[in-house]
Amino acid sequence: MKFLRPDSSKCEGKFVCERTCSKTFFKVEDSACSSIQVRQELKGFSLNVCNQCGECVSVCPVKALYRNKFGTVMVNKEACVSCFMCVGFCPTLSMRRGPNHKSPFKCVACGACVKTCPKGALALEEVDHSRLPA
Amino acid sequence: MILVNGEELSYFDGMTISDILKKKNFIFPLLVVKVDGEVIAREKYSTTLVSENAKVQIIHLISGG
Amino acid sequence: MSYDYTKRTNYISDLPTMKAAHKILHETTFKPTLPQKGYNNRSLHIDLSNFKVTEKQISQQIKDTFIGGRGFGLWYLWNAINPETKWDDPENDIVISPGPLGGITQYPGSGKSLVVTLSPLTGIPIDSNVGGYFGPLLKFSGFDALEVQGKATTDIVIFIDGQTGTIRIEEAPLESVDSHITAEQFTHEYASGPGDLQNVSVVASGRGAENALIGCLNFSWYDLRRKGTRLKQAGRGGIGTVFRDKKLKAIVVRGPKVKGDENNPVDFDRIVKVGVKLHKEIHDLDDKQCRMRRQGTAHLVEIMDAYDLLPVNNFQFGKHPDVTGISSGVWDKRFTQGIPDGCWLGCSLACTKGADGHVVMTGPYKGHIVTVDGPEYETAAGVGANCGIFKPEWLLECNFYCDTYGIDTISFGTTCAFLMECYQREILNKDRTEGLELTWGNAHAQMELLHQISRGEGFGKIAGFGVHRLKQIFAERGWGDSKFLNDIGMEVKGLEYSQYISKESLAQQGGYALANKGPQHDEAWLIFMDMVNKQIPTFEDKAEALHYFPLFRTWFGLNGFCKLPWNDIEPADNAKTDEPSKVPEHVQNYCELYGAVTGKNITKEELISMSEGVYNFQRVFNLRMGKGLRRHDFPPYRSLGPVTREEYESRQERYDTQLKEVIGVDPQGKSVDEKIALHRKHREDQYEKLTDAVYKRRGWTKNGVPKIQTLRNLKIEFPDVIEVAQKYQD
Repeated sequence: MKFLRPDSSKCEGKFVCERTCSKTFFKVEDSACSSIQVRQELKGFSLNVCNQCGECVSVCPVKALYRNKFGTVMVNKEACVSCFMCVGFCPTLSMRRGPNHKSPFKCVACGACVKTCPKGALALEEVDHSRLPA
Repeated sequence: MILVNGEELSYFDGMTISDILKKKNFIFPLLVVKVDGEVIAREKYSTTLVSENAKVQIIHLISGG
Repeated sequence: MSYDYTKRTNYISDLPTMKAAHKILHETTFKPTLPQKGYNNRSLHIDLSNFKVTEKQISQQIKDTFIGGRGFGLWYLWNAINPETKWDDPENDIVISPGPLGGITQYPGSGKSLVVTLSPLTGIPIDSNVGGYFGPLLKFSGFDALEVQGKATTDIVIFIDGQTGTIRIEEAPLESVDSHITAEQFTHEYASGPGDLQNVSVVASGRGAENALIGCLNFSWYDLRRKGTRLKQAGRGGIGTVFRDKKLKAIVVRGPKVKGDENNPVDFDRIVKVGVKLHKEIHDLDDKQCRMRRQGTAHLVEIMDAYDLLPVNNFQFGKHPDVTGISSGVWDKRFTQGIPDGCWLGCSLACTKGADGHVVMTGPYKGHIVTVDGPEYETAAGVGANCGIFKPEWLLECNFYCDTYGIDTISFGTTCAFLMECYQREILNKDRTEGLELTWGNAHAQMELLHQISRGEGFGKIAGFGVHRLKQIFAERGWGDSKFLNDIGMEVKGLEYSQYISKESLAQQGGYALANKGPQHDEAWLIFMDMVNKQIPTFEDKAEALHYFPLFRTWFGLNGFCKLPWNDIEPADNAKTDEPSKVPEHVQNYCELYGAVTGKNITKEELISMSEGVYNFQRVFNLRMGKGLRRHDFPPYRSLGPVTREEYESRQERYDTQLKEVIGVDPQGKSVDEKIALHRKHREDQYEKLTDAVYKRRGWTKNGVPKIQTLRNLKIEFPDVIEVAQKYQD
């Protein structure tokens, strides 16, 4: 399974990943529409993004969340009933909802931000997901 | 002696909130505990000592299916 | 031991034959609509006597006064029947309405339907709050309420298709009448394919409801994980009995695929904001609080036992050493964990637990593998502890059959407990029960009684009539002393008690006996506030609680909500608020949701006044049907104090202390009977004083009648309503 591993210690808060992500998926440069979130901390920055753990898959009442053949957790917007339980139940708070959105969105480990990060703080990594939930 | 919800309960040295809950068999999870008017957080039940003559309120929230 | 949650007996192998046997009796079309700001402003009326289908417009005045849900149900019922109507007259009306906020998917517990009819048990309106997808799907098809009046002559199904705009009334001779099968069969018959199953919901009852007065309705939804239909019950008051009397086998709705914004709310984002906040709260705190997601309301069994509140042996005692047999640890293991169990989309509290893989041990379905929906607390306490039964597999067996037969587990539990006590006290014997050994803890006899009730045979024929009529029948037959039967028969207004011991909480005695529909705790559950916390010591304090909580909880029924997400989960900082018992943050959530859907912002005070009009209207409705006076609000003594010597002696220290400290009599040298009498005099006197205080707080006369001024203040000014109340002004 591919997942995005952020290294906060390398982040210098340029927010390029946020812009890349929101542009790639929602055609806007808006932090609120980015799967990865950069936050200024007292010291340095923190990065929050889905680790593909799959806890949300078992929470969804309509099976709108699923692992694709690469192991990435995906949102099926057609099936979604906008309950947003997945947002409240994400253990890392990485399932998101944009302003006025009718369904949630999340990181699908596409790697677009990996390429644009000026500091090399992001990497796509592979792990065995056979023992992860769902 | 301390007062728990207005009723007397015998006191012993080192008595904590957890001791009171145990003694009263208050096993309901949704409680508000106040000692002399001050709210005690759930995490501190086992470490909060009550003093002799303390007025303890243990408010059970409403339940019922 | 784990159970395969997709494995169960198949009932759908012969659907084409069943469908082919349908005969269309009437077909009509309608224009499907989605609600705007929560309302379609339209209801559907179906008369089964002539198959007339009518759409009714809902005026602004009716919305302002009755809101929806239970309010609409009461209003339509009022107009459908007259003071002489009996439950089995054709004009009796079954009304199902979800309320304007019903069908929200973002906030837990927002999919409830409210069902109102004239109760066969009480002769007054009953209202029952039930999950399942029917209400929301009905509303998303275009109707804020469904009324069914009249009677068919053969078993029929009503099909409301919100996808095509068709309503059909069909003869349906071959499908089962028992709900666990009925729901499965009709869901598959009316869904266009596997992807459509979740858009179908079935209302059904069962064969038991044909022969008993304690019949319930089941509301279904399709569980995608289990690949089968699940059931929730509109349990109280015999609605299933009325349903089967009308020859309804099922009412089926097929709605549009739900997206989550069907109510067309004014401010969707505002709903999501409070919804996500509560989801998160449940995620973070439920495991430390009530564990509803794992155990449902069954988590309460050992808690009630610990506080001496669990009804044991017909409400004689409040705890039992064998309670661990039916307590939460058992259910935590027996319920399938880790799959969503909401009875409507978006309910993260997910209390609708299922015990999968139950192999039926008795009766017509012996050997079948079924999923049992529950047991919930009321069922575990009612058919379990209250009958002295502490065996989980038998509890599942009884739960399963009650549901599928269309029998209310609460009324059945309380009735069975009453009969067992009569057996214990030799008011009944093997001769009189036609062979049933109704001893405490005899699960086999309990099941046999249930099967007999379902067939209307043997002793079950009268047992299914409920406690109120059984007391009369026994008295007529000279079985037992009628005064004693009245003391131990746990019913008020004809409805059986739900499952809490109220002896040490005066406020709860009122919460039960003063409740409009009869003694169901969904109006007010005040035992902890009163008995444990000592927060409401005076009559005035108790009266205030008996004013506020019934009105607050009525609001759920007007709008389509479940009570549980209000206070079976609480915010982390709830303790620090000014009124933790009200859970202020959650009350504010409801104000937010109402404003976000309807565009009309309300305060928490306005929320209460929305209910007050409907509540008083229901009281006048009771009067119109010949109840609703002070004498109808008086409880059996078992709910106030110890009736028998065993009860007294089992808690002698408590009662003796009370004699000394509260009543002011030295118990020394008094016989148990004398002490019981002293308690009784005191407790009945306390109850009368409480009644005075509550009536005063509610703006009612000393006889329990809403004053004309009260009704006018609440804008219940319909001339025929005022006329009824006028007759009873002292």
